[in-house]
Amino acid sequence: MNIQSKGDLVINGLGSSNGGQFNLVKLNGRGTVNSHLECKKLECNGSGTMLGSVMADTVKANGNARFKENVESQNITVDGTAKFEQNLNTKHLKVSGKATVGGKVKCEEMNIHGYLTVNGDCETEIFKGGYRFTIGGLLNAEQIDMKIYGECKAKEIGGQTIIVKQHKGSFVGMLLKSFFKTQLETDIIEGDKIELENTTAKIVRGHHVKIGPNCQIDVVEYTEDFHQDRNTVVKDAKQV
Amino acid sequence: MSEELISKKELLDMTGISYGQLYRWKRKDLIPEEWFIRKSTFTGQETFFPKEKILERIEKIQTMKDHLSLDELASMFSPNVSDLQITKDEIIKRNIVSESVMNLYLDVEKGGSNFNFSRLLEVYVLEKLLQSGEINLEEGKMLLQVLKEAAQQIKQKNCELIITRKLGVSSCMILVNTEAFYFDPGTKKVIQLSLMTCMEEMKSKLL
Repeated sequence: MNIQSKGDLVINGLGSSNGGQFNLVKLNGRGTVNSHLECKKLECNGSGTMLGSVMADTVKANGNARFKENVESQNITVDGTAKFEQNLNTKHLKVSGKATVGGKVKCEEMNIHGYLTVNGDCETEIFKGGYRFTIGGLLNAEQIDMKIYGECKAKEIGGQTIIVKQHKGSFVGMLLKSFFKTQLETDIIEGDKIELENTTAKIVRGHHVKIGPNCQIDVVEYTEDFHQDRNTVVKDAKQV
Repeated sequence: MSEELISKKELLDMTGISYGQLYRWKRKDLIPEEWFIRKSTFTGQETFFPKEKILERIEKIQTMKDHLSLDELASMFSPNVSDLQITKDEIIKRNIVSESVMNLYLDVEKGGSNFNFSRLLEVYVLEKLLQSGEINLEEGKMLLQVLKEAAQQIKQKNCELIITRKLGVSSCMILVNTEAFYFDPGTKKVIQLSLMTCMEEMKSKLL
């Protein structure tokens, strides 16, 4: 993208603009961009609405951002809340606040430290963190390393290495712990190496399967080895 | 055309690949989304695949993955190669299309000697069918017209080319995302050709 020489678009206060090509786009108050936007950097500090699709090198959502169409970017950071109504395509996604995606997510590295909701499938090479998330379709990743905290849901999980652990939590978290359960709910988990804690699943299939404490698994199918913790329920485990 | 299905478990057993590999290939779009068919069985939900297609695809990936990266493979299987440019001489030199068919194509189409992806596909299909002797010149011209008209669809979707003859009159059509089709008994199907496979063949010649 050669937009070096392009100007900036800054909206302070209430305003709206058409899209186009820019170097820096900054929405500080209540800004609306009406059509397709191409830029190097998009920063949304107040409440911003992007009605067209967005192509940007970096997207930063600090306040409340809404994207009505597809978003394509190298880096996306969500520190406030962001709502992507269509698909999201990026290299790095970092969510510290709350992010909602209406369609699919395609990405290389995902770091979740907040709350993520995806209605469709979620494809990434690396999935890390994940305090709370809901994925309506398949979570497909080479490496899944999640620490769950609260209620997490994914319809299916597939990949090479899948490790699910319970997050240790903070002091406040300890006090509130009795109010919500820390559990990952899913139908199917399939992978080469699987380690689970606090997981409810119907079927777990893999080569090396290790089921840690607080799990509820209906069927485990493994090819190489299987290990089960004492404080866990596995109704049926068979080697295939 | 109900296809034979294969469950994911059987597939992994037969081909010797792991879950990790299967999911990786899916992520890289080496295996199209539509092939993942979800069905409920007595053990819960299972995923099935069209047997013939998936076995062929996995074999191709396995044989080629040693000397091509996964991204290169992905661009080979995906139908939309947008920015391909090749000249007429290059095409003939690489033996993708013979000179006589090329001249014929240019004669009918009256275009320049620089080929983009859709035009290359058109001339490649023409070459393939004329060389095999399955169609005649007139049918070839008709075929080009249909291909030109459906060019946008062909790039994005799974299209199939059908040529039929009835009482000596031939007709040509392109079906988009078809499951099945039927003709009356008097109609003879001369050709059924998946354009997706054509593109793959063509791309493997280009690489």
